[in-house]
Amino acid sequence: MFENILFFISSFLVLGGATMVVLSKNLMHACIFLLFTLFGVAGLYLTLGADFLAAAQLVVYAGGVVILMLFGIMLTGGTENKENRFGIEKIPGMGSVKTYIVAGVSILFIATVVLKIIANYMRHYQQTDLPEYMTTVERIGHSLLTDHILAFEISSILLLGALIGAAMIARPRKS
Amino acid sequence: MNNTIVSYLSQFEGHQKFLAVASEFLGFDVTALVGFVIFFTACFILVNVAAAIGGLGTYAERKISADIQMRQGPNRVGPYGLLQFLADGVKMILKEDVVPAQADKFLFNIAPLLALSGVFATLAVLPLSSGFILTDLNIGIFYLLGVGSVVGVAIFVGGYASNSKWSLLGGMRGASQIISYEVPVTMSIISIVLLSGGMSLVTVTESQGGLPHQWFILHNPFTFIGFFVMFIGTLAEANRAPFDLPEAESELVSGYHTEYTGMKFAFFALAEYAEVFVLCGIVSALYLGGYKVPMDLGNGVFFVENLGLPAVIGKNIGQLLQLGAFFTKTFLLYYVVIWIRWTLPRMRVDDLMTLCWKYLTPISLFNLIGCAIWVYFFENQSMWSVIFKAGAAGAGHH
Repeated sequence: MFENILFFISSFLVLGGATMVVLSKNLMHACIFLLFTLFGVAGLYLTLGADFLAAAQLVVYAGGVVILMLFGIMLTGGTENKENRFGIEKIPGMGSVKTYIVAGVSILFIATVVLKIIANYMRHYQQTDLPEYMTTVERIGHSLLTDHILAFEISSILLLGALIGAAMIARPRKS
Repeated sequence: MNNTIVSYLSQFEGHQKFLAVASEFLGFDVTALVGFVIFFTACFILVNVAAAIGGLGTYAERKISADIQMRQGPNRVGPYGLLQFLADGVKMILKEDVVPAQADKFLFNIAPLLALSGVFATLAVLPLSSGFILTDLNIGIFYLLGVGSVVGVAIFVGGYASNSKWSLLGGMRGASQIISYEVPVTMSIISIVLLSGGMSLVTVTESQGGLPHQWFILHNPFTFIGFFVMFIGTLAEANRAPFDLPEAESELVSGYHTEYTGMKFAFFALAEYAEVFVLCGIVSALYLGGYKVPMDLGNGVFFVENLGLPAVIGKNIGQLLQLGAFFTKTFLLYYVVIWIRWTLPRMRVDDLMTLCWKYLTPISLFNLIGCAIWVYFFENQSMWSVIFKAGAAGAGHH
């Protein structure tokens, strides 16, 4: 009962927020709606019992990514001057007939592959109760440092590279 | 199920009896309904208490600043001017709600709501006592960091939507300051998580004792430094002086809430003062023993065994003592925060970033590694027991 209510609220946030992100003409508004969507996704994780993942979603996306996007949009002035001096909207139509055809074909292709993959699972899928409430933090930590140590290290090297790259870009150039 | 106020109440016989009687009377199992009602009541009380503390925070700020500057402070409304914040609230409600013509109306209206809801969402994991905690999430601190960062978005959006240069500068300063100072604060929190072995705030509190030498601040030299790093970081995260650059009145009029009037301005002010309360509570839970009462009086065993009180009363007396301990520590920190505001001058914005990235972040990293080494070599004993053991071993040799 309670989980259903949580699921409905979160999925409403996700779907409504995503729709508004696409439909709103103002990039700032789209960013705020994206925040609601990300909160909804965190709620969906919670209904699946993945509490750590939900909190990480909040910390990373709500705290970091959305603020960075807001900064980026504001500093590049993406919100102003939707019309040029002739009163014509500057936002171009997204794509032409060619791109629509390519997009449609690729959607069909990807959907076929994905559906083929999950068909095996879905055929034998039986609805069971959620697992007993338990802490996911320890299990994530254990599997990150044992089974998935390679992925963990590679992602940490990637982050280190990003950090050094950011420092390189930001440092004053000696010319 | 994790530890909540409902699970605390359901250990008493009276609660079970009430559930049985009500289920029989209504003809269905009322456990879920009663749980919902208890949660709703507790949330309602806690949000109102936080709002009252936020309101009284403004009063305390004026009184303490008056004390420091040898003035009287508010003394007309109510005894000692205590009801001043209610009068302010009435004034705020009666003000005209001005929205600037060029403002982004949607964002302008939603920003105060985001700020206040971000702060109130953090109340869910605030460990007021071992029983009266809304929910003891096992990712408590992580949740708190995530939800608390919404306040940064709110400040930025509020500054942007006002469409005024002062607000915009204030909002940008606020957002960059909050993002930057999250790094040393998170590092300090992680070192405490390392020592206590859990991210739930109750686990962290329970692994400390009631007396000062059992607190994490005096656990080892690294946590002693870590406490000050964390406290400076929370000052910056709550935009308090000497880090109140987002609302620096000498340069930016009033910063990100320059254009706000009436209750929207009150929402921002309330969010700030309630956030200071929440952050002080977190610092006291992490470093100062939180709700722990000396001599383990908090679990109520003493009252039941030695004074012969019934279990219900004994336990609840223990809970009240724990509430008292928590609020005493939190309000002491709150006092220090206000004291600092009226003592230190405001920092410059580049000094602020230098302090964060060149001093606090390396220090907190050093603390984190130091705590890890301490846990590894001394098996998580506090420095007092290490010193005593070394002394005893030295005495044995002679």
